[in-house]
Amino acid sequence: MIDYQSGYILRPVNPVFIYFSLFCALLLNLLPIGNYGWVPDWLVLCIVFWNIHQHRYVSIITAFILGLLMDVHNSDLLGLHAFSYSLVAYLAISWHRRIIALTTLSQALHLLPVLLLVSLFPVLVHRLLSGELYWWALTGAIQALIEAMLWPLATSILLAPQRRPIDVDHNRPL
Amino acid sequence: MLIDFRFKTLDPIRNNTNWILRPLEYLMMVPRNTYEATSEYFTTRSKLAQENHAMKTRQAELSLLANQSEFLTVENQNLRELMALQKQVAFKTLPVEILFNPPNPISQRIVINRGSNDGLKLGNPIANDSGILGQVVRLYERSAEVSLLEDRDFAVPVQVARNGLRAAVFGAGRGNPLELRYLPVASDLEVGDILLTSGIDGVYPPGFAVAIISKIERNADKNSSNVFCVPVAAVNRYRQALAFLYDPQFDAKAPTINDKSSTGAPLTNAPGRRQTRARGMQ
Repeated sequence: MIDYQSGYILRPVNPVFIYFSLFCALLLNLLPIGNYGWVPDWLVLCIVFWNIHQHRYVSIITAFILGLLMDVHNSDLLGLHAFSYSLVAYLAISWHRRIIALTTLSQALHLLPVLLLVSLFPVLVHRLLSGELYWWALTGAIQALIEAMLWPLATSILLAPQRRPIDVDHNRPL
Repeated sequence: MLIDFRFKTLDPIRNNTNWILRPLEYLMMVPRNTYEATSEYFTTRSKLAQENHAMKTRQAELSLLANQSEFLTVENQNLRELMALQKQVAFKTLPVEILFNPPNPISQRIVINRGSNDGLKLGNPIANDSGILGQVVRLYERSAEVSLLEDRDFAVPVQVARNGLRAAVFGAGRGNPLELRYLPVASDLEVGDILLTSGIDGVYPPGFAVAIISKIERNADKNSSNVFCVPVAAVNRYRQALAFLYDPQFDAKAPTINDKSSTGAPLTNAPGRRQTRARGMQ
């Protein structure tokens, strides 16, 4: 695959690294930080990243299963995160050719509405089920903003193994 | 989602997923717990001495109260027997530890480390040293989810400690103050009144602090008053709490046959007695 930022051809991805990073993101989500709206959802960031870069390894079904885990952890309605994650995975997979060619900053800007969808999805469902709009929960938009700001960081960390040079010259590290 | 909202058919899936997820959650609590343990280890001597002093005075006060309270309890029970009132129900408590509160924009919940294996039941109240925290809403084998007072439409029957006025405290959603609903304008309430559980619902044992009235708005034209209160028990302060294994329907004295024959009709049809569903039906 081509790295559109540098123009180099990337090394092939290691599937073990993909699943390891997803597992790490899941663990980060399970950190007992507290019930704050702004804490970024690491898992959705990771899922969207791999959906865009390697959609053959991380599909909608993976997103659904991980969403189910988050539902149980958050004591939400079963299927709330599962649905929003798989919806976002679908959007990311269908847009991946367009988004991958952009610079990282405009990638983040393009993904902001997608991340906003995940953050505000519980509020929308709550509105549908109980008929009340819960204004306080709209602070979830901050979460989406923070996630979008973390996007360049995620790109540099998750693409780092693929950006390694193929033959390492120990005498000349750069 | 709709299936989970309307019916309870997906509970096995939830339980099994929880069974997988719980070890991971425990694993991720390790950094926080080690941080807290180390910071506790390095507390200064003066702080410990201060704490020790405060605890000693507190213990002296409490032992004094305990001596009195034993006497008062016996006297109260005797008086109640004299008046042929129902005896106060005794209940067991179960120490629980608050594991974490899951991130959820809509509701405010906590997860505790005791479940159905420890004898916990759905609806058991959870309290800490200052007052009622909430109620068990979802039960797993080794853990349970507790809905807090703040949750939307979470209702607790209370009475005002000062004058015994009965009311119900309702949660108004996360981040909003609790509300005291269905009260007329002329009701005798003041800012700073303490609300205790009244125990008439059979879920909460009577006499535990729930909230303090913080603001009262009286609308004379609508003959209603908006009363706002803040919960007494702070959620994020301590990690320890108590669960009350309180089941008055089980503990209460069953109506004897003599009662039925004297009134001529079964007690359930007596005038003024509220019809309640049998326990198996709900």
